[in-house]
Amino acid sequence: MLKLATRQSSSVEGSTPVANSPPAKDASVQARWAEGGPWDGPLIEVDHVNLNFTKEKIALPVLVDVSLSAFKNEFVALTGPSGCGKSTLLRIIAGLIKPSSGVAKFKGQTITEPRHELAMIFQTFVLLPWKTSLDNVVFGLSSRTDLADGEKRKISLQALDNAGLSGFENVYPGELSGGMKQRVGIARALALQPEVLLMDEPFSALDNLTADRLRREIYSLLINPSSSIQTVIMVSHNVDEIIELADRIVVLSARPGHVVVDMKNELPRPRNKKSSEFLQSVDKLYSYLA
Amino acid sequence: MIVALFLSVLFSLAIGITAARNRKAETVIIPTLDVLQSIPILGFFPIVIYGIAAVLPGPAGVDLAVIFLIFTSMSWNIAFGVYEAVRSIPQDYLDLSSMSNTGSLQRIVSLYIPASLSRIAYNTQISWAVGLFYLISSEVISESTSKLAVRGIGVDIFNFGIAHDYTAYAYCLVILIIAVIIWQFIFLREFTLWAEKYRFGDDPHGAHKDPLMRAYSWVNQRSLSKLFLLKPGKTVTSITSPLSRYRRGLKYSFLILFAVFLVFEVGTLISSAKTGASTINLAALPSDELTVMIGLGYSFVRIWYVYFICVLVALPVGIVIALHERAYNALVPVIEVIASVPAPALLPAIVPFTLLTGSLAGEFTAAIVIFLGMIWYLLFNVMAGIRTLPGDLWELKRSLRVSPLQAWRNIYLPAVATAFVTGSITAIGAAWNTLIVAEYFGSSGQAPLTQVGDGIGKIIVVATNCAPVNGIPMENCSLTLALAVLSMTALVIAFNLIVWRRVYRYTTKRFAYNR
Repeated sequence: MLKLATRQSSSVEGSTPVANSPPAKDASVQARWAEGGPWDGPLIEVDHVNLNFTKEKIALPVLVDVSLSAFKNEFVALTGPSGCGKSTLLRIIAGLIKPSSGVAKFKGQTITEPRHELAMIFQTFVLLPWKTSLDNVVFGLSSRTDLADGEKRKISLQALDNAGLSGFENVYPGELSGGMKQRVGIARALALQPEVLLMDEPFSALDNLTADRLRREIYSLLINPSSSIQTVIMVSHNVDEIIELADRIVVLSARPGHVVVDMKNELPRPRNKKSSEFLQSVDKLYSYLA
Repeated sequence: MIVALFLSVLFSLAIGITAARNRKAETVIIPTLDVLQSIPILGFFPIVIYGIAAVLPGPAGVDLAVIFLIFTSMSWNIAFGVYEAVRSIPQDYLDLSSMSNTGSLQRIVSLYIPASLSRIAYNTQISWAVGLFYLISSEVISESTSKLAVRGIGVDIFNFGIAHDYTAYAYCLVILIIAVIIWQFIFLREFTLWAEKYRFGDDPHGAHKDPLMRAYSWVNQRSLSKLFLLKPGKTVTSITSPLSRYRRGLKYSFLILFAVFLVFEVGTLISSAKTGASTINLAALPSDELTVMIGLGYSFVRIWYVYFICVLVALPVGIVIALHERAYNALVPVIEVIASVPAPALLPAIVPFTLLTGSLAGEFTAAIVIFLGMIWYLLFNVMAGIRTLPGDLWELKRSLRVSPLQAWRNIYLPAVATAFVTGSITAIGAAWNTLIVAEYFGSSGQAPLTQVGDGIGKIIVVATNCAPVNGIPMENCSLTLALAVLSMTALVIAFNLIVWRRVYRYTTKRFAYNR
């Protein structure tokens, strides 16, 4: 069992402890990621964030002194027990919630409101039922007043195609399966061409088989040379999913949430869920969560 | 009022539980409740008064009639709520109670009644305003039709108002409003919150924890399936129940009845046109089918134009209030109180102003009464439509940095569509009930406070009083009355089944959020 009060750095089997430094730039990782700009600090930096909810004039701490960084070319998983504030932390990064103290930064700039460089994928998809999948993606481009309607459509069609939904452009969400709804959600995020993608338990509302399939596709979908996405932060409580997808894993404690462990996961890709290394990593992560 | 409410709850518990636990009873009770619910109650009030006064003469009889009316305005709703609640008790709980050998009385007390509580609370909250409207109107109507004074604030308010004793009138109004506030906020609110604890199941993910708005959307959802003669709890788009055959049968018998009625009407029209006997004298007392139909037409148009005014007000105002947390918290209690003050009580205060409009005064007053009877349904439904949207949607809206204009067009307006249609249907339904006050209303021996040129509500009141109007005596009061009430009922039900049902089905298919 872990000492909850202290922040530890640890590592999954076969990896090294990590401080807040950029990951080693090995060629295979580099190839999977798009070429970035001149910025080489952390894309997302959460700096000593505290959050209190006030209920009946009593301040309830939700997050206590949380710090973490997400660098270029990293797929970061945020996890922890139910109610630990991991989704709340994601919303602070998204600029949807203001922390009580501390800051979240994007490329060194304090995040005070939602930014166009950051896109979000929701657990419940949040599609507008009165719009077709295409119109839902076009709606995602609402803030792009610089684009003409025709251009928005073109970008959206491409995003739907990338998300594996060509042929379903004119279908309403009510007629789509859960997996396909989430593909629309993914397309909506991709169309925005964000640099950072935030995902809040993106697979947990899907059945196991659908989730498995989407998970297998999503890594190459998000992280490829033609994608604008440079960092993914995913909230999840599914240990297998985290070991399969994440490069770095941040575990929060039970409420009030603080960082228990921040570790790298350097299993080679593609990751074989039946390999002994994979299972060892799963066991290790379980030990932090249990 | 309280007596009526208490009786309603008792009656509803008995009927609802019986219907839910006994298959045979269910096949009889549920369709019966369906039909009773669809009828504009106030139209039947004069008939009820005559009936009860005949059996039990004197003030007691009239009091009984008033209680009966309020009772009917509340019971069907509550009975459906109980029925649905008991039907939806999870099987596990029933199994548990049979395994622990609880007696049937104990089962009722410990399982059925607690399970029904939250729905009773919802319905009481909604029925309250309706009940008050009936209370005031029926007290006054009974006084004027039976020449027997009922004790009650409704009559007092009215008489002071008519006698231009505005100090006393204001006192009465204040007392009424205080009563409303006490009832609404001290009793009803607490009851609703307390009953919340007895709900089975969890809230859907991300839904607003707003018991009031949930109550509205829930009650209206249900009252719709009821209007469309569907099994309660089933949505309009799914008709697969053992009862659906009865319902369908019922629906077609209504349609056939209406068709026969129309043929009959057209026949009379043609024959009277041939003989040239019916020169329509709108000022004179309506005494045949043609005038009933014309009155119905006038009322129909009147209701619809007031409806459009209501829409223009309620849609933007409702959305704006629901969007702003502070405005919402501050205004909803105020609106609840205003909505609970029945239009008839306000009439003496309104009429002096409308009289200024001269020859249009009657029409203007009628419009105000219908407006007051209608707008709250639209307003509350529109607010509920916004307030019950999942929290994720607001986050999506913010994270996409959607502009206010885009949000109105793409989110708010489509999002309230279903609730708006629901509100429209209930509002129009309520409007038919207000006609009897809006179109011709007054105390005995006085000039009527409201009076329009022509309208079905006026026909019903005049035929009930069976008094000569403009010196022309009425030929056949009871026949005209029956004809008027029947044709109004037929029109309301046919319109629900033919028009509203389609509109509702379309909007739920296209715009409903919970899928």
